[in-house]
Amino acid sequence: MITFEQVSKRYGQRMALDSVSWHMDEGECVVFAGHSGAGKTTLLRLITHEIAPSSGTVTVGTFRGVRLPRARRALLRRTLGIIYEDFRLLNDRTVFENVALAVRITGHFADAEVVPRTLYALEEVGLQHKQAAFPSELSAGEKQRAAIARAIVNRPAVVLADEPTGALEPASAKEIIMLLRRIHEEGAALVTVTTRPDVGEALGGRILRLDEGRLPAGTAAAGSPYAPAGPVDTTAPVAPGPGA
Amino acid sequence: MHLYYLREAWRSFRQHQGLGWTAMISLTATLLLCGVFLLLTHNAQSAVRFIGDRREMVVYLRDEVTPDQREALIARLTELYGTATYVSPEQAWEEFSQQVGDPQLLQAVDQNPLPASLRVRLRPELLNYPAMEQAAKQVSQFPEVEDVRYGGEWVRRLDELQATLARGSLVVGVAVALAILLILYNIIRLTVMARRREVEIMIRLGASDRFIAAPFTLEAVGQTLVSALAALGLLFALEQLTVQQVVHVSFLPAAWIAAFLGGAALLAWAAATLALARALRSAGP
Repeated sequence: MITFEQVSKRYGQRMALDSVSWHMDEGECVVFAGHSGAGKTTLLRLITHEIAPSSGTVTVGTFRGVRLPRARRALLRRTLGIIYEDFRLLNDRTVFENVALAVRITGHFADAEVVPRTLYALEEVGLQHKQAAFPSELSAGEKQRAAIARAIVNRPAVVLADEPTGALEPASAKEIIMLLRRIHEEGAALVTVTTRPDVGEALGGRILRLDEGRLPAGTAAAGSPYAPAGPVDTTAPVAPGPGA
Repeated sequence: MHLYYLREAWRSFRQHQGLGWTAMISLTATLLLCGVFLLLTHNAQSAVRFIGDRREMVVYLRDEVTPDQREALIARLTELYGTATYVSPEQAWEEFSQQVGDPQLLQAVDQNPLPASLRVRLRPELLNYPAMEQAAKQVSQFPEVEDVRYGGEWVRRLDELQATLARGSLVVGVAVALAILLILYNIIRLTVMARRREVEIMIRLGASDRFIAAPFTLEAVGQTLVSALAALGLLFALEQLTVQQVVHVSFLPAAWIAAFLGGAALLAWAAATLALARALRSAGP
């Protein structure tokens, strides 16, 4: 499903990710935890091919390569559902239009296709009654639910969540975690990055700790919410990348 | 083409009306300039064609030419240069009298001084200065011919005028095309920048370049077509005003209007394609 092989990412002098290797299977849930600047968002951006690795190889499904061509990158992103900390909703469109946009991007324009899929996604996140509202009329929790509806409306095999509860107060955060957990239980693989230990625990997936751009093997104490389920990532087929 | 793209183009225009109106006003002014020149060219071409159609060669005959020789010459000239018509001295005098119109002046002339002549309506391929000059030289060699007149100087000027108009049309056309490309290129880039966040989100969601670009392209083509129609409207008003105030001017024919609109739309599409190819690459990851 997703494989990182000796992936490094350098921004100038700073090493954001350092020879990271890991792998996840279909339907799995992986939580990357770590402090701010640990390389979590870089890792997500590598999955979506927003940035290219300085060395190593990122494979997502059938998409493999250091730098995919523009059209292939678009195609890859259509197979993913992405949730951002700051929601990234279009403020001039209603909740319905925001979610429907993701359907139309996949090339489905007929109302007969767009409307039921959009309404179903909104129903799943409990936001059907707010479909005509604009993002500015929603609470932070509702905005995130709208963003989740947009992420799942195309039934992606993988949902990526970048600090999904970062901008939410505790009650909304709990609701969002429950929602993500349900999405995962319904079959979607889930990759979440977070600075909050409780999120990793609540989601109940495999927790990998990122520290200064590295996945340290056996460094977390047993019982720690950041402890890997085995050695850092036992399922990862590690192979040296081209720049390694 | 999906209705969705049209709705998005309309939404974009409504949201960035300032940019949209700036584009349309600039485009209307540019296209009006182009339209004025087209109108001038069209009317000048019509005038040139009208005058050109009347270009003829007058072959004056010697007094001693017999009717048989004359008929043989008519046949020969018709075969070589175009339709030749005999004008007797009496006919020539009658035409002259009608043109002068003053009986007292005409009475002062004792007898008809005008010679018999042949009027040759030249074939279309001979309606230019070098060909006419050559034909006149050849005809003057016939023994029956006294003299040949064809208005060489004004024929030459007419040809020069036509060539100048053609060059002018090309220069103005290229200048207007560049102006349209430049205006739209910059307006589209500004619009993409104004909607940068939206474009970036769409790129992150996996939208193809075509999906993102289609509304921008439609908006540009729509703005240009509206501007072109506005320019044509203004041009028509200008033409009507000129007709009332000065001289008869005919408006652009349907084919020219279609070419004007089609050309403007094509330029808009080209400008949008160029601008978006660059703008989208710098807009998102």
